Amino acid sequence: MENSTQESHLRSDNSVTYESPYTVYAMAVSSTPSPTNLNHQSIALGSFLEDYNNRVDIIAFDPDTLSVKTHPTLSFYHPYPPTKLMFQPNRKSSSSSSDLLASSGEYLRLWEVRESSIEPLSVLNNSKTSEFCAPLTSFDWNDVEPKRIGTSSIDTTCTIWDIEKGVVETQLIAHDKEVYDIAWGEARVFASVSADGSVRIFDLRDKEHSTIIYESPQPDTPLLRLAWNKQDLKYMATIQMDSNKVVILDIRSPTMPVAELERHQASVNAITWAPQSSKHICSAGDDTQAFIWELPTVAGPNGIDPLCVYSAGSEINQLQWSAAQPDWIAIAFSNKMQLLKV
Amino acid sequence: MATGVQNQESVPKYLKKQLALTVRNIQWSYAIFWSISTRQPGVLEWDDGYYNGDIKTRKTVQAVELNADQLDLQRSEQLRELYESLSAAQTSPHAIRPSAALSPEYLTATEWYYLVCMSFVFNIDHGLPGRTLSSGQPVWLCNAHCAESKVFSRSLLAKVCAVVTVVCFPFSGGVIELGVTDLVLEDFSLVQWIKTLFLGAQQAIVSNKSIHVSGNNNDLVCPALDPLIIDTKLSPILGCEHLETSFPDDIPDGLEPNQPGEDSFLVQGIDGGASQVQSWQCMDEEFSNCVHHSLNSSDCISQTCADVRNIISLDQEEKNYDNSLQDVDECNQIKLASFDLQNDLHFHAVLSAILKGSHPLILGPRFQNSNKESSFVCWRKNGLVKPQKARDGTPQKLLKKILFFVPHMHDRGLSESPDVNGVRDAVWRPEADDICGNRELPERKRREKINDRLMILKSMVPANSKADKVSILDGTINYLQDLERRVAELESCRELTELETRTKRKPDHVERTSDNYGNNKTTNAKKLYSSKRKTPDADEVDDEIDHVATKDGSTDNITVSMNKNDFIIVLKCPWREGVLLEIMDVLSILSLDCHSVQSFATAGILSLTIKSKYKGSSVAKAGTIKQALQRVAWKY
Repeated sequence: MENSTQESHLRSDNSVTYESPYTVYAMAVSSTPSPTNLNHQSIALGSFLEDYNNRVDIIAFDPDTLSVKTHPTLSFYHPYPPTKLMFQPNRKSSSSSSDLLASSGEYLRLWEVRESSIEPLSVLNNSKTSEFCAPLTSFDWNDVEPKRIGTSSIDTTCTIWDIEKGVVETQLIAHDKEVYDIAWGEARVFASVSADGSVRIFDLRDKEHSTIIYESPQPDTPLLRLAWNKQDLKYMATIQMDSNKVVILDIRSPTMPVAELERHQASVNAITWAPQSSKHICSAGDDTQAFIWELPTVAGPNGIDPLCVYSAGSEINQLQWSAAQPDWIAIAFSNKMQLLKV
Repeated sequence: MATGVQNQESVPKYLKKQLALTVRNIQWSYAIFWSISTRQPGVLEWDDGYYNGDIKTRKTVQAVELNADQLDLQRSEQLRELYESLSAAQTSPHAIRPSAALSPEYLTATEWYYLVCMSFVFNIDHGLPGRTLSSGQPVWLCNAHCAESKVFSRSLLAKVCAVVTVVCFPFSGGVIELGVTDLVLEDFSLVQWIKTLFLGAQQAIVSNKSIHVSGNNNDLVCPALDPLIIDTKLSPILGCEHLETSFPDDIPDGLEPNQPGEDSFLVQGIDGGASQVQSWQCMDEEFSNCVHHSLNSSDCISQTCADVRNIISLDQEEKNYDNSLQDVDECNQIKLASFDLQNDLHFHAVLSAILKGSHPLILGPRFQNSNKESSFVCWRKNGLVKPQKARDGTPQKLLKKILFFVPHMHDRGLSESPDVNGVRDAVWRPEADDICGNRELPERKRREKINDRLMILKSMVPANSKADKVSILDGTINYLQDLERRVAELESCRELTELETRTKRKPDHVERTSDNYGNNKTTNAKKLYSSKRKTPDADEVDDEIDHVATKDGSTDNITVSMNKNDFIIVLKCPWREGVLLEIMDVLSILSLDCHSVQSFATAGILSLTIKSKYKGSSVAKAGTIKQALQRVAWKY
């Protein structure tokens, strides 16, 4: 495999490409096999159209035959682009033949994905009046406590929902400015990043206090994305606006990042930790490249180099590394979704 | 190193020699002896072996001078040494890797196969050697690389390393395995021949004395030893000398191709059962003391056992990076030991552990299909792809749109301030504990100040029970609007009164009316003033209507009477709009707390009786008060 050409040479046996009719942003990989076929994996793709009518499509990925199948009825409309999509993690496949998908837009919506149809389950709306709503920038599904979803909003708050009862568990004013991302650590601990440039950790048992573990070096530079290492809860990663660095944080030593991965040639758009290994993280950015990094115990003087790289055709906007398919990384760029073998 | 074996040197050396000779004779690639582990009962592990396959280079880390034959023997030793050093590196990653003569780059695939075999263990009944031992029958496996992993657990390894034929046969409590990179069709006679080679050699060694050439079974032995004796060229072998004396001289050159011919043996009629058993028993005793070459192979096992608990408890807290990878490796080794037939995993685990240092692409041991290569390529420092595409200038364009613009697409008349929209009842506002220290402090102070002010505001505004910012601000807005409305009302009322008083000329009546009005007005007015002073009390309207005699005309006068700190001011002045307010203002400036005010306006004259208390610090002078009042009341 040569690395001298602009795009990585894709062999047909190690990647799958799906071309969507519209630009794709939100993406989710199911944690359970598809109800239709146990070998298939469901992937949800959300469109990005600057329009009221947007769509979410569910496609089935077969890792054995390396094919992707669409289903015309497994699709639904969404008002404005969904900012995030996520399947319920660790869903016991024996519990039902359907999968649960959550989408965030102006509200948090739950959908039941069945074999050949998608049924809307609920719309979780926190506002008392119909005039006001607080659009959501992101959410995270707690994988230890699957009835808990935390959402982040531009009204500086984070709301924790109990989706079984359909009520708000609690709401916190998390930051001084809009909150852009939220990630669960344990069952009752989550972290969020905001336009005020800070990463804060919250514990639902002590709602009076939060802990700032990092603030961007230039004050008020927004932090756009956050990822918490589920294999080793000490570590988190975040990316700053217009920055090509992936900042790795250790929650035990606040304010000082343990590593800054600076090998992207343009700003980073997405980060995700490896689901099966605590040392690996994948990042993708505007330089059309996706890097897999291995974090050493001791970093060399010149910084950390990535382990391996993949070059896509255009800026990579989304990255998903699912625990259900740890050998495959899903990326989205322009209107394509690709599954890459690790 | 296989030089100078002493007389009382370990018997295993013989085994090596036998393996060496055998494999050389038949021109196969390797011979391995699997024996029952002493550490773990019921498990076969690598005991000894000889490598006779392809060698890429003779280059070693240290240049050692040896003759050709010694070199061959040495190779196996070197491979073993390399394995030990790599295992040591794996088990104690922080220790410096013990240096081995060979370095990994110099090995061929077959050598790798041999090396990796050292890590394998088999339960009795499992795997080729295991089953061989339990069944007691030799097994011949052709096309080992195509075999199913159930049949041959190292089939993948064999495929990579081009080992095609593998033969196992039980021998003296263990299993001897021979392998070759060519396809050799099944030929159990070969197995028998090899067995007798071994058998004979064993017996010869065990007896360690001159062997009677005569005798039934022993007959086999003598000729069978022939190839063995050749070893004298290599190095002195235990008892070889005197063996030599006992044997016929037509010793074929052991390095020549194998010629199973008439001089070698009597294959037929080997009813070697009894003798074999004997020899095996003897062998058992001997080899039970066999040197297990390295702590490592047995250490690996014991370490893996010890680490089972670690793996199972999945102690994530203390894991550092290396440990986690290593633990997973060992987990996989355990898996094999527990005979989960995921032998691919073992192969990869060992290979990855061994290659960890040199090959960057190994990503942890979870490979499921090693056949499919990764989409990712190794990252090279200077191999970066320069993005030639012209960007339209905005970095993170889509991400920013999703975060900054899409939420506002949902706007349906939202105001700018996010607080108004999002904050609801019972919303927590955690106080951010800042660990950074200095940088945050002024910001926090600012926030605290804001909170304090909001609390004050809350206390000033009546009927607001909620504690959140928005409610406080809302309440304040409402209250201010209310007050403004009231003031407007009052002022319009006052105009009305003014009009009435001017038109109607019934003093008493008017007085009374205006009294009432006046009282009402004053009550209201007082309220306004007292609220300024945060004391909504003292609204006592003095109900006593102090009838001040209406004086016409030029009774513009002012009387200020003082009693300690109490002042009573009686004032009469021409009425004009706002004069009452101004007078009250002046009084408050003079630190006079008016607790009773009576006023009536008749015929353009304002009569005012004020009872007040002096609240100032300095001594009050009636004169000053009078002067000030005069100034106010009579200014135009």
